[in-house]
Amino acid sequence: MKFSVVFLMVFMLVCYGCASSPIEYGQKDAVSAADKTRLEQEEALKRKAEEARIAEENLTKARQEKERLLQEKIGTAPLTDIYFDYDSYAIRSDDLSRLKEIGDWLKLNKDIPIILEGHCDERGTIEYNLALGQKRAEVVRNHLANVGVEEKRVKVISYGKEMPADHGHTEEAWAKNRRVHFAFDRQRGVNR
Amino acid sequence: MTRLRLVFILLFLGLAATTVQAKVYLDVYGKSYKKITIAVPGLKSEKADKLRTDMSGLLSQDLDMSGFFIVAPDSLFDRELSNEGIEKQNIQFTNWRSIGVELLCKGRLLEKDGELSLEAYLYDTFEGSTILAKRYRAKPEEWRRMIHRLADDILLAVTGEKGIMGSRVIFVGGGSRNKDVYTASIDGTGVKRVTSFRNITVSPSISPDGRYLAYTSYKEGKPNLFIMDLETGKDVYAERDEGMKLGTAWTGKSTLGYAKTSGKFSTIYTVDPTSGKKKAILTKEGILTSPSFSPDGTKMAFVSDMYGTPQIFIRYLSSGEIKRLTYSGNYNTSPSFSPKGDLIAFVAKVGGSFEICTMSIDGSNQRVLTSGGINDSPQFSPCGRYIIYSSKKGSRYAVYVMLYNGENKRVLKFTNSDEEQPKFVP
Repeated sequence: MKFSVVFLMVFMLVCYGCASSPIEYGQKDAVSAADKTRLEQEEALKRKAEEARIAEENLTKARQEKERLLQEKIGTAPLTDIYFDYDSYAIRSDDLSRLKEIGDWLKLNKDIPIILEGHCDERGTIEYNLALGQKRAEVVRNHLANVGVEEKRVKVISYGKEMPADHGHTEEAWAKNRRVHFAFDRQRGVNR
Repeated sequence: MTRLRLVFILLFLGLAATTVQAKVYLDVYGKSYKKITIAVPGLKSEKADKLRTDMSGLLSQDLDMSGFFIVAPDSLFDRELSNEGIEKQNIQFTNWRSIGVELLCKGRLLEKDGELSLEAYLYDTFEGSTILAKRYRAKPEEWRRMIHRLADDILLAVTGEKGIMGSRVIFVGGGSRNKDVYTASIDGTGVKRVTSFRNITVSPSISPDGRYLAYTSYKEGKPNLFIMDLETGKDVYAERDEGMKLGTAWTGKSTLGYAKTSGKFSTIYTVDPTSGKKKAILTKEGILTSPSFSPDGTKMAFVSDMYGTPQIFIRYLSSGEIKRLTYSGNYNTSPSFSPKGDLIAFVAKVGGSFEICTMSIDGSNQRVLTSGGINDSPQFSPCGRYIIYSSKKGSRYAVYVMLYNGENKRVLKFTNSDEEQPKFVP
């Protein structure tokens, strides 16, 4: 914002200078030393603003590129949701091999920080479900830690029943909602 | 309350003598009671009501919500009854008795110097006696509060205790990922948004001294617990440790009890935002949540899954002794003490639904008060006669209030979106 205003002012001054210079050609020497230094300062300011803009642009580009690469990598990940029984935070035995697979992938892709989101179905109270979601996410983190994924890479957030995957009110919908979802920690991933 | 200049004047000097023995018409704590039929024929006013208010409509609504009255429909009154005067000497009590009206509320509304003045009377049609005679004054725009005052006074005169019609309620309103804290009058008007985070915000509660608001919000990306000073609107305490932090129970003037679930253990803490002093009072493996303190501060009810399913326990704070209160069913949560300390309201899974229940503080006398749906967050009114809660039937959460025995359920409407976790504002 600030830069653009300065930039515009400088630009207008330069235009004014260009337009008037042929007429004032003969009087060039008459331009005072003070005016000259002022113009030079403005030029310098303009250059700086331009440099800053380019640097910013490059940074954004780099960030976008990084994000794209991470996204691409995540696309190859076996990060599917882990489902739970009603009012339970125990991993189902048939999910153990899948957690191992996820753990192995995470170990291969150490640059990817993960958020484990714990979710519940709509049945039960808001408060208890928020605590239950925390437990579900933590139990997945513990299992990943057991297969060698560093705990500090993995953030845990419970959403209780606040963000259902399926808004229905059937057994099927509830089963889909009792889950731990793997999310990519965008902020930590890009800024590292 | 202070803004409203409600002045009441005893119109009859002799009134004190006739009503001082305050005949209790309803023993609300008895096993059963019969509703009283009350008539509220339109309030008389000398000039046409400029505000186009429906004062007798609101009064009827209040009396209906109280759960102690059947409000006689206007269609019962013939012209003679409708046009009758409001003073005792003008009333044909036998005519009212003949249509089954037991109590009769009459009033005259005057507007003078930009102020409303309501002269109200409550008569017992069987004895032909005056139970209540009061004059209320209010600014025209505050007519609703004036009517609520009258309704609460009628309840006081008839049941020996004030009603809840002048109360304010705090709740969470809004849709998915966009929930904020609101307060409103119990009649659904005066809705104020207290927070505007446009994120998930849950479990709001106001300290008994009215100064602090505790809530858990995802406004910083993860669920953190905050205590806001309502005078300044600024957070004065924040708990940002990893894990789920939830607290809606206050004890003493301004001490918040909250539960944190993180890692292998859960802990219940108390914190005083004035001093910032934090104390761990209970740590257990698994889940601990929803602490509620007895009014005398000696006991704490809480939820733990130490035996595999969520159950309610009570802890005697001086001895540290813990007793399990709930044994039936595999899901008992959200305990909340009554203001007299004799009952605990809670949520139990009954069949496929989640019901509001009450029990004695030793776990006996469990009663199921609702039927069907997902009911949540029960809380007693400050007088102890009502329970406010949220209920989900289908896709929508709404706030309800009922008598503590489960009768007279009424839905409260504030905003047009989901409304959850209601509490009375202290």
